[in-house]
Order: sequence, then structure tokens, then C-alpha cells
Amino acid sequence: MTTPFLQIRGLRKTYDQVVAIDHVALDIKQGEFMTFLGPSGSGKSTTLYIVAGFQEPTEGQVLLNGKSLLDVAPNKRNIGMVFQRYTLFPHLTVGENVAFPLRVRRRPESEIKAKVEKMLELVHLADYRDRLPGQMSGGQQQRVAIARALAYDPPLLLMDEPLAALDKKLREEIQFELRRIHQETGVTILYVTHDQEEALRLSDRIAVFSQGRIEQVGTGEELYEHPSSRFVAGFIGNSNFLPVKVEQMGAGRARAIFPNGQAVEGDARAFAAGSEGTLMVRPEQMRIRPHATSAQGLAVTVRDMTYLGDSMHFAVQTPWEQELAVRMAVRDGQGLCIGSSAVLEWDSQHGHVFA
Amino acid sequence: MLLDYDRLGGWRWGLVGVGTVVMLFLLLPIVFIAALSFGDSQWLVFPPPGWTMQWYQQLLTDPVWVNALLTSAKVGVIVTVLSVVLGLLAALGLARSRFFGKSALQAFFLTPMVLPVVVLAVALYAFFLKLGLTGTLTGFVIGHLIIALPFSIITIGNSLQSFDSALEDAAMICGASPLEVKWRVTLPAIRLGMFAAAIFSFLISWDEVVLSIFMASPTLQTLPVLIWSTLRQDLTPVIASASTLLVAFTVVLMLLASFLKKGSRQ
Ligand SMILES: Nc1ncnc2c1ncn2[C@@H]1O[C@H](COP(=O)(O)OP(=O)(O)OP(=O)(O)O)[C@@H](O)[C@H]1O
Ligand SMILES: [Mg+2]
Repeated sequence: MTTPFLQIRGLRKTYDQVVAIDHVALDIKQGEFMTFLGPSGSGKSTTLYIVAGFQEPTEGQVLLNGKSLLDVAPNKRNIGMVFQRYTLFPHLTVGENVAFPLRVRRRPESEIKAKVEKMLELVHLADYRDRLPGQMSGGQQQRVAIARALAYDPPLLLMDEPLAALDKKLREEIQFELRRIHQETGVTILYVTHDQEEALRLSDRIAVFSQGRIEQVGTGEELYEHPSSRFVAGFIGNSNFLPVKVEQMGAGRARAIFPNGQAVEGDARAFAAGSEGTLMVRPEQMRIRPHATSAQGLAVTVRDMTYLGDSMHFAVQTPWEQELAVRMAVRDGQGLCIGSSAVLEWDSQHGHVFA
Repeated sequence: MLLDYDRLGGWRWGLVGVGTVVMLFLLLPIVFIAALSFGDSQWLVFPPPGWTMQWYQQLLTDPVWVNALLTSAKVGVIVTVLSVVLGLLAALGLARSRFFGKSALQAFFLTPMVLPVVVLAVALYAFFLKLGLTGTLTGFVIGHLIIALPFSIITIGNSLQSFDSALEDAAMICGASPLEVKWRVTLPAIRLGMFAAAIFSFLISWDEVVLSIFMASPTLQTLPVLIWSTLRQDLTPVIASASTLLVAFTVVLMLLASFLKKGSRQ
């Protein structure tokens, strides 16, 4: 087996009493777009800064192509980075900002000129070469920052919430460009965000952070379809969480009962029989029927319905008075109205039982 | 605001009146001196019966005055350079590091601002007598530097404070060594603060008189000292012209400083 491109091994970082990250381990393939996703304070930036060299881990190792990065000074790591805050040098023109990493590397003038031209074309800002950063919008500045970070062909590009300060439309525009740049350059990207939609849109794989640890690593689809914990399920996409009591564990499946005594089946990891748990079902994987069509159905009352154009959104109430969200195609929702009794159904492989 | 200028009504004119009186009070002596320096009366009659440039001619041909002018300029330039360089190093150290006793050190650096200059002058005089530094250029430079340095540290420190240190991180990861980061990113970003510090330092040295009187010798004195000592012997319009030159140069530097401030806000 070949060694992975970037290996993060057993990272731990503490500030006095605060544990910022613990047991963070991850292998990243060359050319991969890997996103760190997680709530504020979950340790995404800390992990990224250790890779960049701004911070030293208390424990653990970071290897690039099998060689330790931690022994290398930050300015010798040859890594590109884009920050959340605008960090273009205010006294240099756009062109000179992009040229900066090449100048400190003492590259010949002709090479610098050609490279700056090429990088500005990559981010579609060729006409802005002689502008000062202060004369550009936030989105343009971040694109220049990307050009600067890629000018020296770093094998690895780190991005810490580079689009967080931009409005939604601009953010989507640059996300699109980022995908294109990733494909054109083939650079490996470590990207930090707390926006799950952004993570799904951009990434090959996503590492979900929670309280200083990685909860789960996988493609967007894997995380969405097979979340390994209640936290991941709640963080990616919308979910309904129903209280259950586990009765019996089979091979990867659990039999459980709802508070009203009704039995249900779902995917599950190891569970002790008799323990309390949660059954998670996505809103769009539930159906509301006027009458039961299968054994696994829950009697509910329709509380609210909203027409959203491409779909309908329902709020239904369970026998134990919990409100659940359901999304269905408009035509499937016909014949239902507020206050009517109905049956809520889903395929048992779409139910996940968590602790 | 309660005391908004636009809402003062009749009081407004009173305010304008008081402002005008204060301004005249501050400016009239200077205008008076400037007028006298061009007047042709030996006895400083006001208003001058006629106009002449002869006092300036005398000033610029008398070796004693010219020497004093040159000494002032020389001391001023050396103090400026040292004050900016040392101020920069001190401000960088205070802004970018955390160590025990930092705030005490910070306060210590600023003591010359609150200490009465006379006290400082007497202390330095006694000390420099022992070292044989009175009446030397070095004596002037050290004395003025002590007064100028706090202003440099404050001015440069303020511009470091408003400078985002993430820029240094960005430069570092771009491949710049710590020294290159300072040279190519930090210094250009705070250059206006450094210019301001330079101008203030020069001005402080340029019109410093208390310390200078203690440091001066008959052969080495600055312009303010010479004005003061000449004044004690006789009253000649040459003093008026020297004073006018002093003020004119100060005004030019102040204007430069305010332009810089405007530039940094854009
Ligand atoms: N310099 C520091 N001193 C003390 N604690 C710190 C320091 N930097 C980070 N922490 C703590 O480490 C934890 C992880 O912080 P980190 O910045 O990595 O989170 P994050 O996932 O990037 O969050 P965000 O989305 O808000 O940027 C937090 O609990 C934070 O309070
Ligand atoms: Mg962060």
C-alpha cells in the first residue's frame, strides 16, 4: 500500500486547561478536496493551523508524503493558505500580491510575470492587476488571495472559512469557481467551514468535527445516508428524532419500541437491549398516507402544511404529541388537510437508531 | 447631542466670540514677532515704520547664529533617526510579545512624558558632568532622545495596534522569513505611523529649550538656546527673525504631519 499524501495522526492540542482538539486522525489522498465541518469551537481551525505551522500540537504528528511537517518552519512548508479575514497586503497591487510568494523565493522576473498573469487569469481577474486591494470587493479580494496562495504551486492548499464574510450569492459564485480551480489545478485542499451546504457542494470527503474530535469522515452521501451518530445526522441535512427503547439487537439492525408501545426497526450499531435511544428519519423519506399500506406505520394528525412549489412541507403530530417534519412531492400530498388523521410511513432502511 | 452647535441658538455667537479671542490670544504674539522680524526699526517699534530683510541677512551671515541653526538641525536629524528606530523596536516588542512585567515596562517607557523637564534636565546635567558629556553633541542627542522616544513608542505602537497581524501570518505561509515579513509587510503597513513619529521627534528636538540650556556650552548651542541667551543681553530684531524661522519650520512640519494623518485615514 502506498503512503497517504497527508497523514494527520493522533493530534491533541491543549491551552492550559482547555482541550482544543483530541485524537484527531485523518488520511488525505492527493488531489482530494477535504472539508472540516463542525460547529463553532469544535477544533477545525486548530487542526488547520497545526498543519499550517502557526500552532504546535501538544501531541501527535502530521506527515506530508511520509515526512514530518512539524519539524519544518511555517515559511518553509510550501503550503498555500487563504484566511477568513482579508489578508492581501494593502500597500501592494493585486499583481504584486500574487507575485509576493515568488519574490521571496527569488524567482526570475520573467517567470514571476508569466505566473502572475496565469494566476490572475485562473481567478478571472486579469484586468485588475494594477489595482490596490482597498479598491476591490470582498469577493474579489478573496479570489486574489486564492491566486496568491496557488502562485507557487503548493501541493496543499488550506482554507479557513474563506467565504464566511461574503453574502450568499457571492459565496455560491466563488464556491463554483473553487470547484473549477480544484479540477484545473489538481491541488489537494483542506477546507474549513461550518456551513453544511457549502461542505456538501464542494467536498470529495467531509470530516465532521464535534468538541475537538472527528465524529465521522466520509463523502457527503455517506454522511447523509449513513450517519454514525445523532450529532452527524443533526448537523448534515434535516432530521426527525423519535424517542425509542431498544428491545433487541440483530446484525446491524435494532428492534425498538416507541413511547406508545408500537414496534419499529432501524439500522443500528451495537446496542445494549433495554437502553434508551433515538430513531432518526429524514423528512423527505417519510410519507403521509390516508390509510396504512404497510406494517410499519405511525398514526399521526396533520398539524400544518406549506406549499413550497417543488414540494410540500407538513408538520404532523405523533400519539405522544411530538411534532415531526415531512417533505413530499406536491401530488403525493393531495387529499390531506390540516386536522386530518393519517398514517406516517417510511422504509425501515431509512430509520437509524442512535444512542 | 445636547450641546450640539446647531442647537445653541443665540449662545452660538458667544461661543464664536470666545473662540476668536482665544485664537487671537494664541496667534497674535506669533504674528507680532513675524511682523517685527521684517520691520526696519532697530527698537522693535510696532507697527514697523518700514520693511526690510536686513535682520534675516544678519542672521544668516553671523557665524554664531548659523552654527546654532546647524547644530539644531544636526541634533534634530540624529534624534529623529534614533527615536524612530528605537521606538519601532520597543513598540514591536511591546505589541507582539507577552512577558512578565510588560505593562510595568510600558509605563516606564512613558515616564519622560510626565516627569517635569526641569527635573530631568538637572538630573541629566549632574550625570553628564561626570561623564564629560555636557556641551557635546552626544549630550544634546541623548537628552532630546529621552523626551522624544515616548512619543515615537506611542505613535508607532498605535499603528501596530490597528495593523492586522493575520497579514504577518499570510506573508509567513507565503514563504517569507520572519525578517522578510517585518521588512516587506509590517513596516510598509505602519509607515505612516513611522513618518508621524519622525516628525514629532524632530519637532520635539527642534524647539526643546529647557534641557538644551543645561547641555549647551558657549561654543555649542541650539537655536532656541541662542535666542534665549541673546534675549538676556540685548533686544535685537535678529531674535525676531530667528524665532520666525523656528516657527515657520515647525508649521511646515505640522502641516506635513496632518497631511499624513489624512492620508492614513483613506
Ligand atoms: N489561543 C487560545 N487559547 C485558549 N483556547 C483556545 C485558543 N484558541 C482556540 N481555543 C479553544 O480551542 C477550541 C477550538 O477552537 P477552534 O478555533 O479550533 O474552533 P473552530 O472549530 O475553528 O471554531 P470556529 O468555527 O468558531 O472558527 C475552542 O474551544 C477554543 O475556545
Ligand atoms: Mg475557526
